[in-house]
Amino acid sequence: MDFEFFTMNPIALFFASIFTSNILMSNFLGMCSFISVSKDYKSSFGLGLAVTVVMTITAAVSWVVLYYILVPLGLEYLSFIVFIIVIAAVVQILEMVIDRASPALYLSLGIFLPLITVNCAILGAILFMQIRQYGFIESTVFAAGSGLGWWLAIMLLAAIRGRIENNPVPAGLKGAGITMITIGFMAMGFIGFSGMIAVQ
Amino acid sequence: MSAKPGKIFIDNLWFNNPVLIQVLGICSTLAVTNNVRNTLVMTVGVSLATAFSSWTLSLMKDLIPRKVRMIVQVLVISFYVILIDILLRAYLPDASRQLGPYVGLIITNCIIMGRAEAFAAANKPLISFWDGLTSGIGYMAVLVAIALVRELLGFGSVLGFRVMPEGFVPWTIMITAPSAFFLVAMVMWLARNLQARREAAAKAAKAAKAAPKPAAGPSPAKA
Amino acid sequence: MSPYLLGPLVVSGITAVLALLIALTDRVVNNYGTVVIDINKGKKRYEVKGGAPLLGTLASEKLFIPSACGGRGSCGACKCKVTSEVGPVLPTELPYLSKEELADGQRLACQIKLKKDISIEVPEELFSVKRFEATVSSIRDLTYDIKEVTYTLEDPAEIEFIPGQYVQIVVPPYGDLDEEVQRAYSMSSKPGDKGKVELLIRLVPGGIATTWVHRHLKQGQKARLVGPFGEFRVHDTGATMLCVAGGSGMAPFWSMLRHMEAENAHPGKDVWYFFGARSLKDMFYLDELRALEKRMPRFHFVPALSEPAPEDKWTGETGLITDVLDRFIKERIPKEKGFEGYLCGSPGMINACIAVMTKNGVAEKDIFFDKFA
Repeated sequence: MDFEFFTMNPIALFFASIFTSNILMSNFLGMCSFISVSKDYKSSFGLGLAVTVVMTITAAVSWVVLYYILVPLGLEYLSFIVFIIVIAAVVQILEMVIDRASPALYLSLGIFLPLITVNCAILGAILFMQIRQYGFIESTVFAAGSGLGWWLAIMLLAAIRGRIENNPVPAGLKGAGITMITIGFMAMGFIGFSGMIAVQ
Repeated sequence: MSAKPGKIFIDNLWFNNPVLIQVLGICSTLAVTNNVRNTLVMTVGVSLATAFSSWTLSLMKDLIPRKVRMIVQVLVISFYVILIDILLRAYLPDASRQLGPYVGLIITNCIIMGRAEAFAAANKPLISFWDGLTSGIGYMAVLVAIALVRELLGFGSVLGFRVMPEGFVPWTIMITAPSAFFLVAMVMWLARNLQARREAAAKAAKAAKAAPKPAAGPSPAKA
Repeated sequence: MSPYLLGPLVVSGITAVLALLIALTDRVVNNYGTVVIDINKGKKRYEVKGGAPLLGTLASEKLFIPSACGGRGSCGACKCKVTSEVGPVLPTELPYLSKEELADGQRLACQIKLKKDISIEVPEELFSVKRFEATVSSIRDLTYDIKEVTYTLEDPAEIEFIPGQYVQIVVPPYGDLDEEVQRAYSMSSKPGDKGKVELLIRLVPGGIATTWVHRHLKQGQKARLVGPFGEFRVHDTGATMLCVAGGSGMAPFWSMLRHMEAENAHPGKDVWYFFGARSLKDMFYLDELRALEKRMPRFHFVPALSEPAPEDKWTGETGLITDVLDRFIKERIPKEKGFEGYLCGSPGMINACIAVMTKNGVAEKDIFFDKFA
């Protein structure tokens, strides 16, 4: 295959995707469920774990499908549909396996899985992988890192929200408003990492 | 729900604005609003995708079995987004490149799914198209407002045309992520305050009309 | 190959492969083997294929736990006591189980997946609950919104029940309804007529089952019933029965009265039936009840209209049924044998009648009510 792949030190890429190019803080992906679930610390843990697992698996599978089926056949324009189908299928299978393997895990994680199918972060990570033309190792590492970064962000936000829960917030800002501002400050914090490593 | 076009327009633009009130479509809201041109391209794309998807799904609504409803919705939306992506790449290559993955991410934009589920599933095709379009317009209004502030203060320009005076020192934070969050919070605050105030005024007017009730004793029949 | 063909072909191909993968995983992962269900400490045992919810599995073994929503977790009717370890309580069950119920081991049968052997306890009467295939033999209008529906039972051909019990009618998908639901109605037929079931069904605006019965059900149509259920029945004491019901709430009492006449059940027990309605057009069976009153001296029929229309030319009691009840207890009904209250109607009516009865000295434990209607 004569495709020009972007290669990079996997470890550097891993850290970059968690901190400097945090998929949520810098790329704004995965906001909807981020905002709603971060109210509860325990659910945030489950959702973050689910996102990480799904992201990694779907990125790997999508990479294979993209470069071994779609590109050789000149069908790259269909990649959006194919990615979505892959995500839906992986989520479905994962749900079944987790339910069987551990009902306790299913209770904390499994109920989020259907939610993730349309989570922009998952599709976003795959699209980034496609645009930046990562190789297989890079894609998997990037996806895992992005998932962990997202997980980290939602845990942080849940912790902060727990702290400020009883503080007086102006009526118009209650809920989504103050959450946005909180995330804004968190994002500023994450910018502080930007000198470290670049992802491209 | 009464499907009057005028009411739907006002609802989607203000009272039930997808971004400010329903808190949907936030991801892309924040990502592309650092300049106005990209914002316009994106929001027009979302509006059209929502409109056509709602229209198609409303046409098909009696044919889709319940179990596969979500999958069909996603596939229809993907179809229109692919079309938009191809059109963008052909006619507006700069914008397409700058928007990057966010065009594809329109598929996962909660607004489109939300309207498909909440409106198109239960209404006629033409009015669903209108509902999708107006939701997109409500989304557009908010995003363009934010983009105007961000581009003006971050680049000193609007739509690429230099507006700020020569000596203006651009506010770098406006180009970066945090500003988007702060600005969305500001606009939400404004919108919700205005709406709350209007509701309080309406309630006060209603209460003034109702006659005062005598103190009620214990009722004979337990409800 | 033409690109127009290749594109859809490849997408379908990928989808097919993934669908296959899902099906395979489902086979492997959800294969729980055989599971043993032990009921009431060994009274009944079933060996079944695991993996499906308890409710449905028991139904296929012909043990019917009551359910109104068909197993979708939206009614809470399928409570049963689980005595073996079956996993943590699901969030879908919590809205329907009180703290006491949870402490007692009560769970929703539709939410428990049979992953391993399980032992449960259910009320004894559930063992006699059957699913009946029947035909609608007649539908008769009693008032502008109440129909009398009679079913002839086919398989099984006979039903055994105690007057006051109810059946669930199975409403198939129709109109906007996508999935089957079940709704409970008290039987108005008497147990002696084993081959038929008679129900009184009032049209509730927006009601799923009542709309189906009033607008779609036709004579000669096939139908499914599940039953009998319920603990509402005549208590075998000497006390005088004070029965209050309006509209379709009459059903259980109509069954009890006809049974009493036919079998001379509960001899020596007096029955006073207070039938409340707004005006004459809400009343029905007046002639039948008056005739029964003549034939059975221990039965007293007290119809009362709260807003009689002038054209009704009503000469009977007027006013709210609770006021009529109050008056009769104080002035007309002999007190020596003591009283028992039997109520069937809306929660508001039931509470009001309980208040009147307790005020007149009837103990709360002697007041029984049917919670539907």
